[in-house]
Order: sequence, then structure tokens, then C-alpha cells
Amino acid sequence: MIEVRGLGRRYGARTVLQDIAFDVAPGEAFGVVGPDGAGKSTLLQMLAGILRPSFGTGRVLGEDLRKHPDRVQARIGYMSQGFSLYDRLSVAENIAFAAAIRDVPRQAYAARKAKLVAMAGLERFEGRREGALSGGMRKKLALCANLIHEPPLLILDEPSLGVDPLSRRELWRILEAARGEGRSIVFATSYMDEADASDRVLLLRDGRPLALGTPTELRASARRRVYRVATAEPDALEGQLAASSAVLSFQKHSRTDYRVQTAEASPPAFAAATAIEAAEPDMEDVFTVASAEPGAGAAPALAQRRSGPADIVVAAEAVTQRFGAFVAVDHVDLEIRAGEVLGLLGPNGAGKTTLIRILCGLLAPSEGTARVAGFDVARQSEQVRSRIGYVSQKFSLFPDLTAGGNLGFFARAYGVPPSAMAERIAWASERAGFPIAEDALVRSLSSATRQRLALACAIVHRPKVLFLDEPTSGVDPLSRFRFWRLIAAVAAEGVAVIVSTHYLEEATYCDRLGMMMDGRMIGLGPLEALQRELGLADARVEDVFLGLIARERSKAVAA
Amino acid sequence: MKPSRILAFSRKEVLEIVRDPVTIWLSLFMPVVMLFLFGYALSFDVENAPLVVVDHDKSVASRSLTAQFLNTPYFRLAGTPEDERMAEHALMEGRARAVLSIPPGFGRRLAQGRDAPVEFLVDGTYSSTAAIVSAYGRAILYAFPSGSLQLPVQPEVRVWYNPQLRSRDFLLPGLFAVIMMTFPPLLTALAVAREKELGTIAQIFASPLTKAEFIVAKLLPYAAIAAGQLAIVLAAGFLWFKLPMHGSLALLAALGLVYVVTTVSIGLLISTLVRTQIAAMLITMIATLMPSFLFSGFIYPVFTMPAFFQGYAARIPTMYFVNISRGIVMRDAGLGELWLNAVVLLVYGIVVLTLATLLFKKRIA
Repeated sequence: MIEVRGLGRRYGARTVLQDIAFDVAPGEAFGVVGPDGAGKSTLLQMLAGILRPSFGTGRVLGEDLRKHPDRVQARIGYMSQGFSLYDRLSVAENIAFAAAIRDVPRQAYAARKAKLVAMAGLERFEGRREGALSGGMRKKLALCANLIHEPPLLILDEPSLGVDPLSRRELWRILEAARGEGRSIVFATSYMDEADASDRVLLLRDGRPLALGTPTELRASARRRVYRVATAEPDALEGQLAASSAVLSFQKHSRTDYRVQTAEASPPAFAAATAIEAAEPDMEDVFTVASAEPGAGAAPALAQRRSGPADIVVAAEAVTQRFGAFVAVDHVDLEIRAGEVLGLLGPNGAGKTTLIRILCGLLAPSEGTARVAGFDVARQSEQVRSRIGYVSQKFSLFPDLTAGGNLGFFARAYGVPPSAMAERIAWASERAGFPIAEDALVRSLSSATRQRLALACAIVHRPKVLFLDEPTSGVDPLSRFRFWRLIAAVAAEGVAVIVSTHYLEEATYCDRLGMMMDGRMIGLGPLEALQRELGLADARVEDVFLGLIARERSKAVAA
Repeated sequence: MKPSRILAFSRKEVLEIVRDPVTIWLSLFMPVVMLFLFGYALSFDVENAPLVVVDHDKSVASRSLTAQFLNTPYFRLAGTPEDERMAEHALMEGRARAVLSIPPGFGRRLAQGRDAPVEFLVDGTYSSTAAIVSAYGRAILYAFPSGSLQLPVQPEVRVWYNPQLRSRDFLLPGLFAVIMMTFPPLLTALAVAREKELGTIAQIFASPLTKAEFIVAKLLPYAAIAAGQLAIVLAAGFLWFKLPMHGSLALLAALGLVYVVTTVSIGLLISTLVRTQIAAMLITMIATLMPSFLFSGFIYPVFTMPAFFQGYAARIPTMYFVNISRGIVMRDAGLGELWLNAVVLLVYGIVVLTLATLLFKKRIA
């Protein structure tokens, strides 16, 4: 199916991908895993014949990628990132169009279409415009459009990015069926469970291959680097984990149970641990271990959390936001105390960003009231805005200024007095784990560095509430872990932090979770409480989410 | 080339256009707006030019001369200042475009049959208007006092094709060409750039659709819209503005079709070079609208330009359709007279379309 040797791509003087070599057999599911900017899309575009390789050779479906890219284009199915169908055409029209430009014979068309539409659960929506579908449905439709000509090879660029867990499962059911028919699938993903389910995985980082093999082989390579640590004193253990240079990263699984990735292949020792045992690595561990540069480790230290009941700094009552007939946020109640980290979880389009914008005073709610830091977000948005920090999805930094220039700008914009400027900037940089000496232009910084700079800019005026809108999107697991440690450090100083994410596994870093779907808050509370509510002790976050969706649906049916 | 694929693509394009009311509105309404804007606003005719008269003579003859000026539709009285200094002031302030100054003794000298000089000052700021005003003034003065020119040679000057020298009759046929060079390429370039911006083009890249099929499939619906725009603009010109039509409407429509295919092709060519809609819009404006205004003969005749710019104008197809449109509408010209213009347009369209196909890449980079 695919045979590439030394494949790479250069844009001008910048090499974005190099030394890629692998084969894909018929019926194989091949996962390409890596953070944003690792070169996943570039690789997939080259395999699809729509990007000319700068180095190396490649054959796809027996055709040379350099000599006959048109023959490759004509025979594959390729789904780019985002949405590639026509939003003004209906579901049926989009499929018909895809079939017509790919020469699907008229006799075969009706049967294939019926099968695909049924599998995607889109029968009831055939007449609906693509633009009016949910993100998950649009992705399933795009997949149907790419399967209508029954291609021997499917190339999918992050097919399930930002899709709700239910749609994600359906998407993979369709893909499994295609694989069962002998089609090969090459897909990029940042979801480690998807990588785990594929036949072979290529780990990419900074345009270079980090590892290649079956999930079993890769997991074996990370053995003796992953441990389960049980404890009776979680606070003490967390402090020791954070202080240890042997620890790369750790996750809290329950109050007494931690998972730890180590820098060396030997078991660590912690005074506060009651038991330490080697654990079977999963793909997330593999990636964390593989992407650790030598000498890394040592997460930033955590300030001692202040004890005693904290003030309520965010209080929302029945907040609703309508855009025309569309209800983006539907009667959400929320209370957050100082020093608390609330994770807003949900797929794209669930209403996370809209809720955050309301609480930031950027958008007046259509109904309901919300008070942030003691002020009404609708009527006193000026006062609200000067007491909060906000990091948007795209990090609103100025790419043509230096890091220092950005920090200075935000400090002045938030009214930090000139006398306190230097001290505040130093403090914010240290808290955000950002080297103050950085005088490079922001455009030249890596996305992980930019993320920390954005955090520094958002806390330079010592806000009471910090909002982070999908700050970890597209970042590798280790950088994500480190960023969450920074968030915890900010919270420990008494700042209420609200973070939205579509990585469900990040729930373990939050004190409380707000699970959102279709504008509604379908679950709110600590993870353990949600697990108890559903009777799903020790369940994975994804299963908790699916359980909440099911509960919501049965409520709707009952009503 | 596979007709089924082209048809499917064109059909998709039509569905998209039909479902976007803004696009339809813009594409059908804007050309008419432009026609009305220029049809009403742009005129070289001089009427009611403000004239100040300094009459030092105050005789029957001087009053009669003044009346001769004001009895024409070309001048209106804008004041009768005491002296030339005040008259000059009126010129400076722009209250007057011309000054008629009649010296003392004008009536007496005229009665004695001697030379009777008068001064006629014209504001030359707007040179073309000034030329017309001074010509009118001279004609009135020559004809005084009898009311008719009594020269040894009696010239019989007749203006053909536009006997009233109405500038609108001359501008509208040219405007057809400029409008058809402005909106069809813009709409087409935006449509392709939109696919690039939204990422829907990726689906086209990874399909058997060939470059030529893509270009043809995009050309068909937009050429059809352009033909519709042409029909609306012609209808507005002939029915609303009552533009006199001396030639064959069928020939104008047929050659107009060739022209719009060419202009849509230019839009396609631009769209192959840009990635964003904003770039498509700017480049289309710079590449089509601006040269069409200046170098098509629409306003400024090409034959009076320096040779270099005549050569430049010859590279812009607008000029050829200005020639065709004016030829048919004003002079009843037929293919016998216009064939060269038509052939140039046809060849131009084929070359641009070929270039667009060659430059369109079914690749990201």
C-alpha cells in the first residue's frame, strides 16, 4: 500500500519533516502520533499526493509520489483537518457530489450510500445542510464522502479532533468496518487510545520520527519507566513527586493512587508512598517517556495551599446564551471558590468557550446572572475584566513583539503601576515557568513556550480568576503535564482557575469537573463524586462522560 | 475530460450560489448600481456654467450680448460685479467658471462699425470643461450681433453617430465593458479563493478531477451568471437610460458572451495565484477595474495616449469590447468592421483559460 524511504519536506530554509521511512500493508491501521507542529499533516499530505516531497522517495498504491501524484489523488480517500465538505449542500448532496467527482458507477451508488449513511446514523438528516450538523456528524459525513468510492487507502488527518466521545466511537466503528473490508487506514491523532488501537504507530516530534512499532512493542520499550504509587498522604506525596528529579510526569488516578513516569528505568522511592509497583505502560506513557529530553524532569514546585474555606469568586445562575434560535449555553449554574481548579470538559460546540466568554464579561448573557470577583458580568464588565486573566484558544499574543514586549504591553494594559512593573513581570514569568531573559520574537517561539508566555501575560496583574480556553490543545503529553503543574501552582496562590479542554484524561488534574454537552452542564463535581453518582467506581473519564450523556438522554425521554 | 465530473461540479457550484442570497444579490445588483452611478454622475456635457458679467458699457448692445449668453442652456448668470478684480475673485472662489468683460464704448464702437473687443475669461482648472466652455463662448461671440455666423466660408459641420454630442450615449456602451470586466472576475476569483480558505479544496485535490475539468466546471456557472449580469445591464441601459441602439442587439449579445467568458477566465487565472479571498479581491480590483477605467477608452480615448500606453491598453481586453460595444450601439457597425476586436477577445480568452489551467495546482505546495 505505502512504501516511503527518507521522506521529508522543507519550506524555504526550514525543514519541517525528515527521515520518515515505513511501509503500510493492506488492511493495516497506521497511526501517526505527535503534538502540533510535529509534521503529522505534512506527512499525510505528502502521502495523499497533494504535497510534493522535498526529500526521499515514496510509493503509494504502487504509484510514485513524485512522478504520478495525480494517480494517487484519484484513488485514495483523504480527509483533511477541519471540515472539508460544502456547508451549503445537504448531507445527500455532499455524498452525491463526492461520488460523482470520484466516478462511482450509478448502479453501485445507491446501495453504497444507503449502507454508509446508515452506519453513520445520518439517515434522518439526509436533507439537512452540512453546516447545520454537529461537529461529530460533519466528521462522520466527511468519512462517508471519502468511502463512497471504496478506496483501498484512507488517509485521515486528526479525524476525531474535538469530536464528542459518542461520535468518536461511531467514527471508529465505521473505520473498523472499512478496515474489515481490507482497506488500509493511515491517520494522525493526538488521542493516545486511538494510537493504542492501531496496528502500528509512528511517533513524531519536531519533524523527526521518535519511535515506530506496534503498540505492544512501544509499550514494552517504556517498561520500568511507569509506576503505580499508592499513598495515605496525597498532599505530601504530591510535594515529593513534584520535587523529585527522577519524576517526569505524574497523574492522580484517585485520592490515594498515582501514576508516575520516571526519567530513568528504575523504580523511584518516596517517603509518603505506601506501595510502589511497576505498571503496564500505555501509549500516553510511551509518548511521555519518548519525548523527554535528557536532563528534563522536576516539575515546578507547588506553593502550600491555603487552608480554611475560600470565598466564592464565580457565581453563575441559570446563565443562558442564545444566538438566534441556537442555544449555545443553556441554564448553567456554577460556583467556584478561590484556589479551585475547575475543568470544563466537552466536545467542540458544547458551549465551553461561550460560557467562558460570558464569565469574562466579553458577552452579556441572554438570560440569568453571573457575578465574577463580586461584580455583575453584564452590568459591570469593566470591573470584571480588570480582575480576571484570560488565555484564549489562539493565545492572543503579538507575534511581532518580543516576549518581554508582550509582557510589558499586557502589564500596562491592565494598569500595573510603572514602579511595580519589573517586579510583577518577574513574578509572572517565574509563575508561568517562562524564562524572563527571552528576547526572541514571539513568532519564533515553540507552541509550548508560547503557551507559557500567554499564561504569564494573563497573570501579570494578579487576577482573582484565571480563564484558560483549551490551552493544551495540540500539545504533547509531557508539555501538557508541565502546563497543568503551572496551573496548579497559580491556583495554590488563591486564584480560581477555569480551564476548558477536550482532552478528557486531563480531568484528573482538576479539583472539580464541569461536563458540558449541547450547551448544558450535564455533570458538575469532583471526578470521584461523578463516578459515585453514576455507580461507575474507578471508571475512565470517557466512560463517566458517556454515562452522563446517557443519563441526560433518558431524562429527556422521561420528560 | 469527463462530462459527468464537470457537470457534478458545476451543479454543486450552482447549488452553493443559489443558497447564498448575499452572493446573488451582490452579483445581480452591483452591476446595476454601478451603471446607475456612472450613468447619472458621469457626464462631460456642460450646462448652466456659472458666468459673471462685468458690464462697463451698460448700453443696449452690451445688454443684448449678455442676453445672448444667458439665452443658451450653457450659461447662467452668477453675478454682475463692478470691476474685474471682483470678477477674478469669483473665479478664485469657484463661484464662476467664466467671466465676460465688456469695456466702455463697446456699443458705440459696434455702431460705428469698428472693432469692438470684449474679454472672455475661462477657468482652466478642469481642462476639458474649460475647452468646451470657451468653444461655446467663442461661438456666441462670433454670431453676435446678427445671431448667425457671417463668415466668408460657411462651414457645414455635422456630427455623426451622436449628433447631440450627448456624453451619456457615448459613456454607457463603454460602461457595459467596464462593468463586465469588474464583477464577473471578482465573483469567480472569490469563489475559488473561498474553497481554498475553507479547506474544501482539499477534497478536490484528493480526487480524480483533473485541472482542466476543475477550470471548466468553475467557468460554466460563473460565465452563466456573467451573461445574466450582461443582460440586466443592457436592459437597464436601453430601457431606463433610453440609450439609442443603432446596430444589432443579437451581435452585441453574441460578442458580449465571448467577452464575459474572457473576463471570467481572468478571474479564474487570478484565483489560481492567491490563497485568500481578501487577496483575490485586491488583485482583481488592481488587475481589472483600474486599467479598465484608465486604459480602455471608456473615458479617455486610447488614440490620444502616448505610444507606450497605447501598447499597454492593447493588453487589456476591456478596450476591445469598448470598441465593439460603441461600434454596434452608436455606429451600427457589423462583424465586417469589428472582426479584429472579436478575434482578439476570443484569443485572449483562450490564452487566459489555458494559463489558468496550467497554473492551477492540485497540490498544497
